[in-house]
Amino acid sequence: MVVVEKENCKGCGRCVAACPKKCLEIGERLNSMGIKSVEYKGEGCISCGICFYNCPEPYALRIEK
Amino acid sequence: MANIEQRGMYESFPRSGKNVSYTHYCPGCGHGIINKLIAEACADLGLQDRTIFVDPVGCGVFTYYYWDAAHISAAHGRASAAATGVSRARPDAVTIAYQGDGDLGAIGFNNAFQAAARGERFGCIFVNNSLYGMTGGQMAPTTLDGETTTTTPFGRDPALTGHPLHVCEVFAQLKAPVYIARVSVADTKRIMQAKQAIRKVFEIQRDRKGYALLEILAPCPTNFKMTPDKAAAFCINEMEAEFPLGVFRDSAGEGLAPREIPRAASCRELFAEKDAVPPAADDPSFEERRFKFAGYGGQGILSLGLCIAEAARLERRHTLWFPSYGPEQRGGSANCSVVVSGTPIGSPAVEHPDVLVCMNQPAYERFAGDVKKGGTIIVDATVPVVADPPEGVRLVRWPAVKMAEEFGVPKAANTMMLAALKKFKCTGLSDENLETALVASFKKKPALGEKNRELLRAAEARDHS
Repeated sequence: MVVVEKENCKGCGRCVAACPKKCLEIGERLNSMGIKSVEYKGEGCISCGICFYNCPEPYALRIEK
Repeated sequence: MANIEQRGMYESFPRSGKNVSYTHYCPGCGHGIINKLIAEACADLGLQDRTIFVDPVGCGVFTYYYWDAAHISAAHGRASAAATGVSRARPDAVTIAYQGDGDLGAIGFNNAFQAAARGERFGCIFVNNSLYGMTGGQMAPTTLDGETTTTTPFGRDPALTGHPLHVCEVFAQLKAPVYIARVSVADTKRIMQAKQAIRKVFEIQRDRKGYALLEILAPCPTNFKMTPDKAAAFCINEMEAEFPLGVFRDSAGEGLAPREIPRAASCRELFAEKDAVPPAADDPSFEERRFKFAGYGGQGILSLGLCIAEAARLERRHTLWFPSYGPEQRGGSANCSVVVSGTPIGSPAVEHPDVLVCMNQPAYERFAGDVKKGGTIIVDATVPVVADPPEGVRLVRWPAVKMAEEFGVPKAANTMMLAALKKFKCTGLSDENLETALVASFKKKPALGEKNRELLRAAEARDHS
């Protein structure tokens, strides 16, 4: 399942657009950088890893199985 | 099942006094996606301890904070030149140059192109985002026709700036590269193709097969002035129309033998002869002598200087020979400086010679005033000495040209000058070594060597006082 490290997310939305199950979204809360980071909706993730490969940041998203 | 997470990168990135776990790239930047794929390929293939990355100038400059492997930073546009040196000096390394389209396509194009033409053994990963990113989105050689940048505010006008440069297509005209391809990181399907292609570049280097170029189309949302999803769409719809994806060359298959880098010959191998003289020995009691030989090209001025330097080498003195001449092979002014010393020599320049040999008038006029007090000037007797030499300098007028003609060997005027240097004890070197050096200078024409030894002795025996 997808794990988001909000402090490393820049909120670009590449993962939101790429997710085949549409289970990611840009949240409303700001991280410490003042960025609205991505959030997992809480259900639907199939651990495919597509979000990880679309994300430009190394440590913003990961899949834990 | 294994987790999907980043491999091959440092755990955190200490930069600008902070230690963070995010990159310097803008949100939605193609570089970030590519950086992750490169680190992953390097780690998955077990090549981190063998890989030397050559980092560019441009947005990709900070990759040394991210990829956990060895790095060298090159000057702008010079990553392919630096990678050439790295791969040749460290043939066991996996060398990867990472360059952008400003870096490779503009200022560094010739470096990259010539490296590809030579088939240097490194992989070049070339990120094309159609503009200069780091400096604020100016037009690059890869900017599309009509594309708006800060320096093409009304769109790139081909009438003014030509058309985009197709790097892969140009490089594909070369024989040497074993792999040339263009991929993109605009969407999931393309990212997976890029992942395979990046892996391939590493495998080619791991197997030492030759030069590989991988161009990667990358979105730059900041300078495109688009949201990340629109920037990715621009890559697919606009950039791919100009820069089609595909494999332009792939000859890196199983049958291709590794391209071994020939070991460079050492200086000793290049210059040492069979009867090699041991290196110069320090002898502080030997008084350093500085020589200047001057005349016009073709008189054997440079050879005469070399002969003195060779005699000094045979005598295990430190010596330097330093020629100076114009663009002409024959007929222009020529001179050379020779330093013979008992201790290591700092500079080959001779501003104030102990011995000056002049074979024509301009040479005398130019250098006679520089000779040290107590020094010697040997000037060809046909040269009219219009100015007296400096006080305390011995002047010898020696009919070198005339004597050579009398002996029937007009070209041997320089040997006649050597006879004067020997006769008047100007060199501080032994007669035997001077003669051996003279003969050795004709080693391609041995008959002439012995002939010149005879001429040398005959000239020395003549009385011209």
